Order: sequence, then structure tokens, then C-alpha cells
Amino acid sequence: MSVSTTSAPVLSGVAANGPIQQAAGPAAREKIKIEGLNFFYGQNQALKGIALSLRENMITAFIGPSGCGKSTLLRVLNRIYELYPNQRAEGTVLLDGEDILDPKQDRNVLRARIGMVFQKPTPFPMSIYENIAFGVRLYENLPRPEMDDRVEHALRGAALWNEVKDKLQASGTSLSGGQQQRLCIARTVAVKPEVILLDEPCSALDPISTSRIEELIDELSSSYTIAIVTHNMQQAARVSDHTAFMYLGELVEFGDTQTIFTAPRQKQTEQYITGRFG
Amino acid sequence: MVNIPMSSVSVASRDLAVKRFAARDAVFRLLTRSAAYLVLTLLGGFLVTLVVGSWLALSTFGVSFFTSQSWNPNPDILKFGALAPIYGTLVTSAIAMVLAVPVGLGIAIFLTELCPLRLRRSIGTAIELLAGVPSIIYGMWGLFVLAPVLQNLENSYLVPAVAEIPVLSTIFAGPSYGQGVLTAGIILAIMVLPFIAAVSRDVFETVPPVLKEAAFGLGATTREVVRKVVLPYSRVGVIGGAMLALGRALGETMAVTFVIGNDPKVRASLLAPGTTISSSIANEFAEAKDAMHSSALVALGLILFVITLIVLAAARLMLLRMSKRSGV
Repeated sequence: MSVSTTSAPVLSGVAANGPIQQAAGPAAREKIKIEGLNFFYGQNQALKGIALSLRENMITAFIGPSGCGKSTLLRVLNRIYELYPNQRAEGTVLLDGEDILDPKQDRNVLRARIGMVFQKPTPFPMSIYENIAFGVRLYENLPRPEMDDRVEHALRGAALWNEVKDKLQASGTSLSGGQQQRLCIARTVAVKPEVILLDEPCSALDPISTSRIEELIDELSSSYTIAIVTHNMQQAARVSDHTAFMYLGELVEFGDTQTIFTAPRQKQTEQYITGRFG
Repeated sequence: MVNIPMSSVSVASRDLAVKRFAARDAVFRLLTRSAAYLVLTLLGGFLVTLVVGSWLALSTFGVSFFTSQSWNPNPDILKFGALAPIYGTLVTSAIAMVLAVPVGLGIAIFLTELCPLRLRRSIGTAIELLAGVPSIIYGMWGLFVLAPVLQNLENSYLVPAVAEIPVLSTIFAGPSYGQGVLTAGIILAIMVLPFIAAVSRDVFETVPPVLKEAAFGLGATTREVVRKVVLPYSRVGVIGGAMLALGRALGETMAVTFVIGNDPKVRASLLAPGTTISSSIANEFAEAKDAMHSSALVALGLILFVITLIVLAAARLMLLRMSKRSGV
């Protein structure tokens, strides 16, 4: 996509040349490296030549209008799209240098390494304790006391322990929406993934629950690489280190969050974050 | 702005219209309400008719009507005990459920979770067609095809195989004549299978895709997702479907009459002939000249009615308890 060079940056004096990748900052290692990623729903191409990297222990936010492909991108990263026969991905997605789109990669192991939290809370129809133990049991055969520890640790990690410690046997569906979402985060964390994908994790929640989850995301980023899709621009600005702006299946701009929100180089990015379209 | 005066004529016509609406509403309410009450009236009517009709037999034989298995319509004896048909009804239905529920669930799981899209449509249609086959067809097929095959298999393999095993040798004591309780149970299982499969499939399809995605997203396999997410989520509906099937199995007459052997005796062996409530009624009603005989048959009908009500009530209660516990 070529953008007219006459479009003025929001702040003057910001020189924005050079390749997009460099704007993401030099520091951290590339945990996930996406190259030339195309994605199709049947005949419909939903992602066009995406290339970007998620840096280790950093939070990367994906913003863009509905239908721009940001959720699709997350669904490629743990290959959950494979549940549906009409969907396919092309290109390479390297996790620590290994191509996860390679059919030889075990998808169950991959999904244990890359956890996902969905837009709507999805507690399983079982007790709070079992909701967490379920994922752990898939890979590890822990004796009861260790499993108890793991559940407690996960619930503490998701800032939910104090609210549920006296009712671990209650149904996961009996919790409030915000609690359910934290339960889902705890469940994801309990499997000890390396990357956590958050697909609009707060869009179904009230402001207080949202701010709790945002704090939680911030804490989690010290141990995990995080990708978050959000419609909420303030949220992207608040929580993320890097931001990717996508539009119509293409990556328009990618850089550190500070730059994207104060001095975007692309006209479309500027218009979107200032609310003029999308 | 134009000021439109509200004439007295328009007010009057509006009042009229409102009255007309009210009248129509009342008629509509009356019609739908009587349709609903009709169900209650029918249910009550059945119960009253059955109780009145069976009074002669029940008052004559008392408790022994339920505990005795001597069923003798000989005009000189006229002694009736319903134990054998009750036992036959319960055992054949139990066999049917034991066989049909796992297979039906298997079909439904395959169709919703594993089957390629194109095959899904055709298997689904086949199941619906199977549910529509008239029971007399099942009966004929059972008598002419299934019974001889089963007789052969049971006498050559099953009976010798369990001959030395204590309990099984009694349950499967030979010789088999092909017609018997087990054959009836198998026919019933085949008949209720499409119901269980179709209802379970519909219920499984109500599991939100995102819930399954979440489980797959943790790295679960299809088997684990089905066991831990799909089945628990949909168990209420699955049990409902199974109860529906059980209701059908309890009352099924024609197919069972063809293959059960129609002998009013309680026997330990499942290979032996027996009878059920509905096939006893169907077999004997036309020939029941004696008032006591017909009353005894009506009493059988009452018992079947009550058993079915109890099954349905138990299903309701179970579903209620489950949904309370899971907090949905």
C-alpha cells in the first residue's frame, strides 16, 4: 500500500523513515516472527502479506476497525482456525525459530505453549478448581497437593484467589463476568504457556473488571509474551509496548505504542486513532 | 405547522376500534386457553377411564395383581397377575437403553465433531429416515431376519461361552429360540437409536463454538473436549433425549409383539420368551370376552401409564437437580 507523502504527521519534527520493523525497538528477542502471512476464509483473503514480530515479555496490541483481520491473526498463531475446514493460512510463523504452520508441528503442544483468552468468558461446565486443573491434567499427572498448589498459584496470578478460595468447588459459570474472564486467564496461565493471546478480553466487561484485567496483563508481561486485540484505543495505549494498526487485512503500521499514538507515520493510522474512521 | 382538530367522529371510531380489538383479544385468549386445557382434560380423562376400567381386576386381586405371575384367562380359573408383563416391559426397555445410548451418543459425537461436512448431511438424513420407519416393519424384520440370526449366534457362541460362568450362565441360559426378551430389547434398541442420535446431535450443536475453541486452545484433543466440555455442557439435553427414547421403548407394541415370544412368565434367562404390558394387551384384547379379563388388561394399561409418568417425572426431577447443581 502506498501512502501519499503529503500527509503530515500529527506532531511536527518526527522523522519517520526507515523500515517498519525497526520502529519496534531493538531490545527484546523476537519470540514470534511472522513473515508473508496470508489467510483465507474459503475464497476470501482475510490477511495479506503480514510481517511483524512479537518481542519476548512485551505486550503487542493489535488495533483496527472490525473485519481488519486482527482476530484472525491471533487465531493463526495457535492454529485454532484449523478446526474449520474452509480456513487456511500461508506463509511462515516462527516460534523461537520453528515454523508453527508446518503440519508436522504437533498442534496440541503448540496450543499449550501459546495460550488464548477469548472475547467472551468461556468457563467450562465444571467447578472452578476443575476449570484450572483440566488444562494442567492434559500434560502433567500431578499428585493432589501439587495440583492444589498449581491451582492456587494460577488463581493468585489472575488476581482471583481471594474471591474464590472458599468456593473452589462451585461451578465456574456461577462467577460474575469479570471473574469468569480472570478464571479463563488463570486457566491459560496454569498450563505455563510462553505466549498469551488475548482476543478483546475486556469487551464484555464493566470498567472495574476491565481495569483489573489490564493490571493483570501488565503483571503477566513480566513472564509472558502477550498479544492483545482490542477495539479500545485507550486500552491499547495504556497496556501495550508495541502497537500494530491493521486495515482490510493488511498491516498498515507497526511500531512502539508511544510513536503510534503520538506520531503515526501513516495517514490512515492517524485518522483511525483520532476517531475519524473505523 | 398545521393544527388538525380532533373531530368527535374520529374519537368515536377510535373507541369502536379499541373495543373491537379487545373483543378479538378475548376470543383469541379463550381459544388458546381451551387448547391448552384440552391437554389437561385428556390426561385426566385417560387416568379416570383406566382407573374405572381396571377397578374390577384390581379390587379382586389386590396386591397379588402386582406380585403374581399367573396369568390365566381360562373362564374356569380367571386368575390374573401382572408381574410377568411388568418385568418384561422393564427388562426389554433396560436392554434397549443399555445398547442404544452409547451407540447413539457415538453417532452424535461423530456427526458433530469428526465427520466431514458432506457425509454429515447424508448420515443425518439417514437417521431421520430411520426414525420414520413404521414399527411393524421393524417387527417383521426382527421376526424373519434378526431372530433366526440371533438364535444361531446365541446357541453356537453365547450359550457355550458363558456356560461355566456363574451369573452369566443363568442370564444367558439356552437354548435360544430366537424369539425372546433379548431379541425384543435389541429391536427396541434399534428403534430408539435414531431418536437418541438425533436429539443428542441437536443438543451437541448448541455447545458454543468458542467454548470448544477454548478447550482446544489449551491443547485438548477432540476426545478430551467431548468428554470434558461437550458432554457436561449438554448432559441435560442428552438425558432428556434418552428419557424420550425410554418412553417410546416402554410403550412400543408392534415390533415387540413380533419377537418376544409372548409367554407371560418371568424367567431368569434373557434368551427365554417373555411378554410386555403393551404386547399382552395387543394380543389378548380382541379375545377378552370375560369382564374380568378385559378389566385385567385395562389394569395393565394403567400400570404402563403410571410407569411412563414416573419415568418422565423422574427425568424432570433429575434435570432440575442437575441444572441447579451446575448453576446454569
